[in-house]
Amino acid sequence: MNQGFRPAFFNENDDHQQLQTMFTSGLVHETPGLNMIVKPDPGMEDSWAGFDQFGYGFMNQNSVLKMTNSSVSPKKRKADKGHTLQVVSEKEKKTKGCSERDSKIIKPRNSNNNNNSNNSKASTNASSKDKSKASEVQKPDYIHVRARRGQATDSHSLAERVRREKISERMRFLQDLVPGCNKITGKAGMLDEIINYVQSLQKQVEFLSMKLATVNPEIDFNIDNIFMNEMFESPTSEFPANACSSANSAYFDQLSSWDQSISYRGLDMGINSAEMGLIRRTVSSPVSISETFMDSSCYNQIQPTAVWDADLQNLYKMEFEQGTLIPFQSHQFSGSNEASNLKMET
Amino acid sequence: MSPPQQPTTINPNSLKIRLAYRFLHSLNNLNSKRSNLDDNQIHQQTSHRIKISAYSSMAYVTGSRRAWSRAILKKIRNRGVLRPRINHRLHARFTRKRNSNYPNPKREYLDPFGNSGQEVKLRKLVPGAETLDACDLLDETADYVKSLATLVEVMKNLVDLYSTI
Repeated sequence: MNQGFRPAFFNENDDHQQLQTMFTSGLVHETPGLNMIVKPDPGMEDSWAGFDQFGYGFMNQNSVLKMTNSSVSPKKRKADKGHTLQVVSEKEKKTKGCSERDSKIIKPRNSNNNNNSNNSKASTNASSKDKSKASEVQKPDYIHVRARRGQATDSHSLAERVRREKISERMRFLQDLVPGCNKITGKAGMLDEIINYVQSLQKQVEFLSMKLATVNPEIDFNIDNIFMNEMFESPTSEFPANACSSANSAYFDQLSSWDQSISYRGLDMGINSAEMGLIRRTVSSPVSISETFMDSSCYNQIQPTAVWDADLQNLYKMEFEQGTLIPFQSHQFSGSNEASNLKMET
Repeated sequence: MSPPQQPTTINPNSLKIRLAYRFLHSLNNLNSKRSNLDDNQIHQQTSHRIKISAYSSMAYVTGSRRAWSRAILKKIRNRGVLRPRINHRLHARFTRKRNSNYPNPKREYLDPFGNSGQEVKLRKLVPGAETLDACDLLDETADYVKSLATLVEVMKNLVDLYSTI
């Protein structure tokens, strides 16, 4: 009985839908007919039974309308169901005879009150969604530019508005990039901040390059060899390595980490290993191992002091001279370089 | 200034890794070149070269899809190559052609921010942004800032590394 009441109520007068959308935007209009139906009336509770019958009458009339109206979205139906359910429950309470509840019942139907009850919101949303859906169906490939009240609607100003929106979007993106830019409002201030940031970055680059020149890295590690095939997609391998205590292990770790292109902490890694000495680190990630990297000469160059097990070296050499990328899983290169458990998987 | 957030995921193709690789590569080249030359080079020159290599590696990593990287690469290429002597007539024709290809000057008069002083400043800071319109300018700026921050991070790490060893 009540199931049909709400949709019927909606579909019966489309004006009501429009009104509801208008109410959401804050415009309050009153139509006498609507008020007659929905206005909370203290006298109504006495004549509630009559009102109900009124509702049934609506249902019977408009169920046909509902059937014919094919564009009822499921969401709307859902909302309506919820609404009617609540109405039912309220009605049950109403039998006890409470005037406040009566007004509550009316409220969801009565959008004049601008109340924020869920039901009215849901129903208005549903109806507006219905509308937007319909418009989308009509014009699927069309950039929807909406002019608000009092805005110009000629094509030039619309285009201008779109462009401005674009710019502000970019500005928001930049705001995320530049630190300390969140607090500043206004484009001018933000632009100032961005300019300062870019300038500071450029100065930093200059300063750092000066510093690099002074530090003068005379150590020529063989980047070419190591980074030869640096961007290979290769199967994963686990490479838990005990950092050797020698100073050169810093290089080794750093380079190997680069080669694996892991950079968890990227360049920091060498420093860490230098500082922490014998901390075991587990790196599990896609590893690309080039032939040249695994060449023993490379090892010798990188790690002159570390004494690798001869067997291990030979093994590596043998495997990698075949020119195959081998996923390998090695457990615990201990500090004394005993290859205790070396598992090769192909 | 706080450095940008470190990526938590490991991405072998990330900007930082590629940038580090490229930069180290160019540094290595620089080193080998310098070892060939005499040692009486001035410190300033070295730092200048390092700076240029840093910028060029940044631009190289970004590739040609951005205006700023294109501008940097072009600048460096034009600077690096010794210009061969060319026929004057040919040269004149070449320059005239380029002038005719110069982008529409109307686009420079766009003034989206109300005060164009800042915009002009920004255009000067971001390479290759002289002829872009406002939207593209902001886009380029965002990208440029991103890679510049990455470069600074990489360089900082390198300096730390070298100073500890």
